[in-house]
Amino acid sequence: MTRKIYGLITLSLLLAGCAGQPSSDDTSPPVSDKGAVVALFDSAKADATSGKLDTAAAALERALRIEPHNPALWHELAKLRLQQRQFDQAASLAAKSNAWAGNNKSLRAGNWRIIGEARAQKGDDQGAQNAFNKAAELEK
Amino acid sequence: MLTFLVIFVLYLDFTIRTQFEGKRWALPARVYARPLELYPGMKLSAEQLTAELTALGYRRDTANEEPGTFRRTKDELEIVSRPFRFWDSAQESRRLRVEFNGSRLAVLHDLETHIPLNLARLDPLLIGSIYPAHNEDRVLVRLNEVPLDLVRALVTVEDRKFYSHHGIDPRGIARALLANLRVGNGVQGGSTLTQQLVKNFYLTAERTLRRKAVEVIMAMLLELHYQKDEILEAYVNEIYLGQEGGRAIHGFGLASQFYFARPLNQLQLPQIALLIGLVKGPSYYDPRRHRERALARRNLVLTELAGKGFIDQEQMIAAKAAPLGVTSKAPSGASPYPAFLDLVHRQLRRDYREQDLRSEGLQIFTTLDPQIQRVAEKALAARLSLLEKHRGMSAKMLEGAIVVTSIENGEVLALVGGRDARFEGFNRALDAERQIGSLIKPVIYLTALERPTSYTLATLLDDGPLVWRERGTKDWTPNNYDKKSHGEVMLQTALANSYNLSTARLGLAIGIPQIMENLHRLGVERELAPYPSTLLGSSNLTPLEVTQMYQTLASGGFRMPLRAIREILTVNGEPLQRYPLAVEQTIEPAPSYLLTTALQTVVREGTAQALNQYLSPDLHIAGKTGTTDDLRDSWFAGYTGDRLAIVWVGRDDNRSAGLTGASGAMTVWGDMMAQLDPEPLLPAQPENIEYVWIDPVTHLRADKDCQGAVELPFIRDSAPDETSPCVSRSPMKAIKGWFRRLFER
Repeated sequence: MTRKIYGLITLSLLLAGCAGQPSSDDTSPPVSDKGAVVALFDSAKADATSGKLDTAAAALERALRIEPHNPALWHELAKLRLQQRQFDQAASLAAKSNAWAGNNKSLRAGNWRIIGEARAQKGDDQGAQNAFNKAAELEK
Repeated sequence: MLTFLVIFVLYLDFTIRTQFEGKRWALPARVYARPLELYPGMKLSAEQLTAELTALGYRRDTANEEPGTFRRTKDELEIVSRPFRFWDSAQESRRLRVEFNGSRLAVLHDLETHIPLNLARLDPLLIGSIYPAHNEDRVLVRLNEVPLDLVRALVTVEDRKFYSHHGIDPRGIARALLANLRVGNGVQGGSTLTQQLVKNFYLTAERTLRRKAVEVIMAMLLELHYQKDEILEAYVNEIYLGQEGGRAIHGFGLASQFYFARPLNQLQLPQIALLIGLVKGPSYYDPRRHRERALARRNLVLTELAGKGFIDQEQMIAAKAAPLGVTSKAPSGASPYPAFLDLVHRQLRRDYREQDLRSEGLQIFTTLDPQIQRVAEKALAARLSLLEKHRGMSAKMLEGAIVVTSIENGEVLALVGGRDARFEGFNRALDAERQIGSLIKPVIYLTALERPTSYTLATLLDDGPLVWRERGTKDWTPNNYDKKSHGEVMLQTALANSYNLSTARLGLAIGIPQIMENLHRLGVERELAPYPSTLLGSSNLTPLEVTQMYQTLASGGFRMPLRAIREILTVNGEPLQRYPLAVEQTIEPAPSYLLTTALQTVVREGTAQALNQYLSPDLHIAGKTGTTDDLRDSWFAGYTGDRLAIVWVGRDDNRSAGLTGASGAMTVWGDMMAQLDPEPLLPAQPENIEYVWIDPVTHLRADKDCQGAVELPFIRDSAPDETSPCVSRSPMKAIKGWFRRLFER
């Protein structure tokens, strides 16, 4: 039951968070100053939206070969894995994104929400709560 | 008798149908290197792109019309790329203009649309094939891809009545029989294309009347079940047309590549005539070994084509005047990178049956970067020769191995299995199990740094003489390399100078099981002996295992399986499998950050200092030397901002190579990395890391005005509290210091 509630909370948090995540639409700064990375990131997002998750992951991996330290790319890959219910991968990739996120607080909060959701799905309620708390703290 | 005959024919019918309809051809798996991605801003010079295109077999051509050609002015290349089916999409041929700015790609343009491009992929280099059991090699072609001229010429020369007969030509057989009666035994001639196909397809080389009878029946059955075009398509792909070492060249598709280095649809009349001529006897008429014979045979075919009205006199004369047009060297079927291919093959065998790998025509896309591979091979071969020369060793005494990976995704970029990189034998990178010496030390220090309340980079360790007594075993009395003990040393210094005494004591204090546990978390699967001597590297690992271990350290504590394969397509280009990027955080970021900074000290001022002769200190390279007893093994493991490389140098007979890690393997590493233009190593600083000035004399908190003070990273709250007397006691300073510490907390 608790897990269900967590799930609902996180899902809404995630959706809210995702809206604020870096993307290459007109309203937010581009994910990279390299056109190649932006193009691959956009095609990954489009593929993910249309359910082509493996193709989306492949595009993100291509982008990461060009910019391996770009935290937004790692974050997007973590989101994909969460969508594919690969919870351990999602959490590790989000942690990888955090390693390169520096002072980007909203991105780090987004990563913690992914980690929280992954933990909740795996039944680690306490761990999930800790992760959500970190996300909330970063967004203060 | 009749029943027997009926059963026999039914049996032949069954055989022929199942084989024809089932798997008709065993197709080798094709293995490709990584495709080169072109994008503005990338590090790539005009020379490097030219080298890549040349390796891909692109021709320099001022006309620059055909796919697979390019032309170059000083800082600009125009390329007509080849179409290629990738895992995620098919890419059409494109006309590209690439402009450079020194060592970087500046602008990428599509010449048809005049639109600047963000990204373009070149087709990948074929680096090897995994052949079927009898080493049959072929490139499958559909009949509609075969030039009409070739089909017509084939029928004209080999079997004029092909489209009207029922598989056999009775008059031809009668003629052959008559000839055989005259000559004695043996069977000759009179074969239709269908019979030739049956012969190639199902039968052995035995030449008896019985076999001839079976052949005739099978040919008729084949005609009964299948269309002429189906039979012809099978023939075009099956016919044996050449030999290269142990590899048999089957079908016109591959023969065209094999003799002319061109796809079938680009052949001209004289070339088509030569291939048709080869049907009769590929080794007898081998155009590379018997030019005159091949030329005569080709011209005979041309005469026959003219005689039967297929070409006119003028065409015949022109074609006869043309040279053979065969490339001087047969393209080798053996991989230029046997060691890497070996790794690919082993990774594939985990997921596929050997027989499928050898027959299903899988397309395997790997991570190999041919540019890095070339540099690594050359560096190893050149350096080993130089080392032998300088040290008066006899030639070819030393051996070596190299593994290069990409830090953030675990892709294997290059793998060298020995100094003769073309040799398809003992693969030292995967199979040489050698003592790792001091390469194990970082695991001990990592395990210590994970306990910040007990150990920091500034903790003092005892480097005094050590005797380890354990009931039932001989006393263990390790020694330092310089045979001296160094009293009390800072933890970071002990690692930088690779002191054995302090390291062994540290390892024993933490506990061997804890250290072995960490070794596994780093990705080493092998169980090492839980003895104290293991702490100083008396256990064996292969270079690849060492790479896996350092990969986790280099990527900030994220373990990722080393990957040589990205994706696999079926023979028809459908996605079959992907090997995705997978990471697992097995070490906390903070201790792994501390360890990387300590390994940077190894290069800055420790045992790997001499690396600065090869590479700028501004690259902040992290590394570790490894040397074993009697100088048998020379190791260097190091990473930059983008790549990790492990080098081993030693002798196959395990005798002394006379080299330390720094005087052997590290020189290879330096030579190689200097040519790869590495990125500086700037590890991501975790949020719970703080930098504090330390007084090198008292090892207490200092400030930057203290003489010789060093600024070291600490996990928050683990730096010494006490302030060194070197910090001046002026009240202002003391207050400032107090406030600073307050806010740093």
